[in-house]
Amino acid sequence: MPRRSAVGGLDDQRAGERCQRLELERAWLVDPWTGREGVGSLLVEDGRIADLRWAGGRVAPGTRPELLVLPGLTDLHAHFREPGDEDAETIATGLAAAAHGGFTRVCLMPNTTPPVDGPGVLRQVLAAAAASGSPVRVDVYGTTSAGRGGLGLSAMGELADAGAAGFSDDGSPVADAALFRNALAYAGALDRVVVEHAQDPLLTAGAEMHEGLVATILGLRGWPRAGEEAAVARALAILDEVCRAAPTGARPRLHLTHLSTAGSLDLIRRAKSTGLPVTCDVTPHHLALHDGWVAGDRRWAWDAAAAPWAGSAVEAAPYDTATRVNPPLRTPADAAALAAGLRDGTVDAIATDHAPHTAVAKAVEYGEAANGISGIETGLGLLLAAVDAGVLDLPTATRALTVGPERVLGSALGAGGPAGFEIGAPADVVLVDRSEGWMVSAEGLLSKGKNSPLLGRELGGRVLLTVAGGRFAYLDPGLDAG
Amino acid sequence: MIAEPAVTTSTPPAWRHRHLLDVADLGLDELETVMRTTDAMATVLARPIPKVPTLRGVSVTSIFYEASTRTRVSFEVAAKNLSADIVNIAASSSSVAKGESLVDTVRTIEALGADVLVIRHARSGAPYLAASIFGGHVVNAGDGWHAHPTQALLDLYTLRERLPGADLHGRKIVILGDILHSRVARSNLWTLTATGADLWLCGPATLLRGFEALARALPGDRRLTVTTDLRAALRDADAVMTLRLQQERMAAGLLPSLREYAARYQLTAERLRAARPEALVLHPGPMNEGVEIAPDVATSGRSVITEQVANGVAVRMALLYLLAGGRPAESADAPA
Repeated sequence: MPRRSAVGGLDDQRAGERCQRLELERAWLVDPWTGREGVGSLLVEDGRIADLRWAGGRVAPGTRPELLVLPGLTDLHAHFREPGDEDAETIATGLAAAAHGGFTRVCLMPNTTPPVDGPGVLRQVLAAAAASGSPVRVDVYGTTSAGRGGLGLSAMGELADAGAAGFSDDGSPVADAALFRNALAYAGALDRVVVEHAQDPLLTAGAEMHEGLVATILGLRGWPRAGEEAAVARALAILDEVCRAAPTGARPRLHLTHLSTAGSLDLIRRAKSTGLPVTCDVTPHHLALHDGWVAGDRRWAWDAAAAPWAGSAVEAAPYDTATRVNPPLRTPADAAALAAGLRDGTVDAIATDHAPHTAVAKAVEYGEAANGISGIETGLGLLLAAVDAGVLDLPTATRALTVGPERVLGSALGAGGPAGFEIGAPADVVLVDRSEGWMVSAEGLLSKGKNSPLLGRELGGRVLLTVAGGRFAYLDPGLDAG
Repeated sequence: MIAEPAVTTSTPPAWRHRHLLDVADLGLDELETVMRTTDAMATVLARPIPKVPTLRGVSVTSIFYEASTRTRVSFEVAAKNLSADIVNIAASSSSVAKGESLVDTVRTIEALGADVLVIRHARSGAPYLAASIFGGHVVNAGDGWHAHPTQALLDLYTLRERLPGADLHGRKIVILGDILHSRVARSNLWTLTATGADLWLCGPATLLRGFEALARALPGDRRLTVTTDLRAALRDADAVMTLRLQQERMAAGLLPSLREYAARYQLTAERLRAARPEALVLHPGPMNEGVEIAPDVATSGRSVITEQVANGVAVRMALLYLLAGGRPAESADAPA
């Protein structure tokens, strides 16, 4: 349990309140705007960054101070289920979970019931966020198609006027290529990104997990890589077409979310090299887990790379529905390709695709179970595991959770977002204790969704506090004066 | 009554499982235990009144979420031969039809006093979900495409009984047909390769999806060949098991037509000539005669299809006994 003495200036401060004073001495600071990391001190006063000092001199290699200070993280992709499925999550519980995960800004997907396909539902979601009292900033996507039905465009202009962050039919692709073309063109004129869930519906009909060796052994219906890559290739071809025809000032922007295969990233890499305005994100679970988890393997992806299928590595019962997610957990080789994509800049962002579900939706046969992982509280821990394994470096991971997402959303919404450790700016700060791990447990997760394959697993790096916009969004119980 | 020579050898028979969910995790010693126990059960079945009191007081409930005749009746006969009480539930006539979840159904069955739950389900992995909440023993009677453990064990028993030397090592065994959707093929794959057989999987390319990669991933001591070439598969084969071809495969675009399938992959007497003269013909049933197998082959002297059914009862008696009848090492003290 962290001691209050580890963090200076915290006297009598509580979650929800303005951060009056916070002294972080000789912590490990990461500033993704400048790419700098190292030992330093950060002072927050009256909700604002008051001082930042980097320690001089060289830091011995391998030095890892106990306290890690990151700028507040942005999650480009989360499902908070309200309105319509408040048994699985509410905006208030989702925001509490986000803060516990180190996020100070979240972008909510619009596949609620009813979906956010017009300004009315959008305002309802924003009002619920305001009413929650959480200082975590909330942005909301509108749907791409009306009612997410895939037949006509949503009320895109009205949604943009009401503040929509972009447009997405996430959960499903826009299957109609002609409608997708129109959506890109129309959203481009509104200076909004279209966030596409790339999936060929027919190649993946009835799919239960990644199509590969593990699926063959378990007798589960396969979700082939081509089901994603064909959709990515199609989307890029359409984007190219729309770009050529776009009037000045109406350049379309396409963001492909939760990409999961090596081949998808090859397509993005090539498209970026030709200057297409495309960005993409990957999830922490696709980076750290792999399809062997469906069979009960519990090794990290990087540890399984040498022997993707090892019956001896199976330590849990197979068919754990917490591992069912769309797109599915891929092979260790795909996970390695996603990490490589982050390192070389092909991947712009890491997004959690936080998808909470009720116990009832998961306590069923594997093929009947809802897709999704409750991941907003474990994402940072998975990334730190990847950092510890040498798969990612800390500045790269941090950039993909801060600068990267800001760029994806674009200038229309950038104002008011985290500005880094700029003196005088409202504080968006996450403090992580690296000296001890924490056990992921159903009771410990603040999300209503307990559907995590990591339950019972220890993650390194425990969030001690999250300050969003100068207010405490999360305070570890050991620190909370209350 | 299990005090048969096969069970009272000097080394105690091995059995380490509370449930029978899969055959992939059964060791060779456990397979041997099942075979020997099945031998003992076969002698019971050979008696004028094939009934013993071994599982008296044990309550078995079977629930079938998919239609089945032979497996369901086989379990029922096996339980009755051992004097267990058995209740059969057809999902179509139960609360399942009202939308009751598998979890609630299993809890209800447990509350009603079942010691053994025999489950057949269309979804791969469903018996694992049942086993995670059921306090007694779960027997997988077939789950989706994944596993059909008792079928694989009765096939193994039948092959060992009928092949000279009762040894499968080096024997060429062919499984022919719709491998992709077959739990029978997946389970036989583990048991047959474990016993050293030279296993071939043969069928149209669309129905072999994923198995070439599996063959490459298997450890070197397991012999598995995957081919679309029926002639190569049948050449010098010691046994051929054909699988049922379902009509849905045409609708899903996996095959042009039943006619074309029969023309290319039906097991006919003519094609069987490439196999060894004494080669055995197996089928897990139910058969589509004239589609995957020619009627004269199904009823020929090489066919052991009805023996498979009869052996199924003995194998299921053995498994119910191993799971619910106490430790096999104590079997010598079992009431006669």
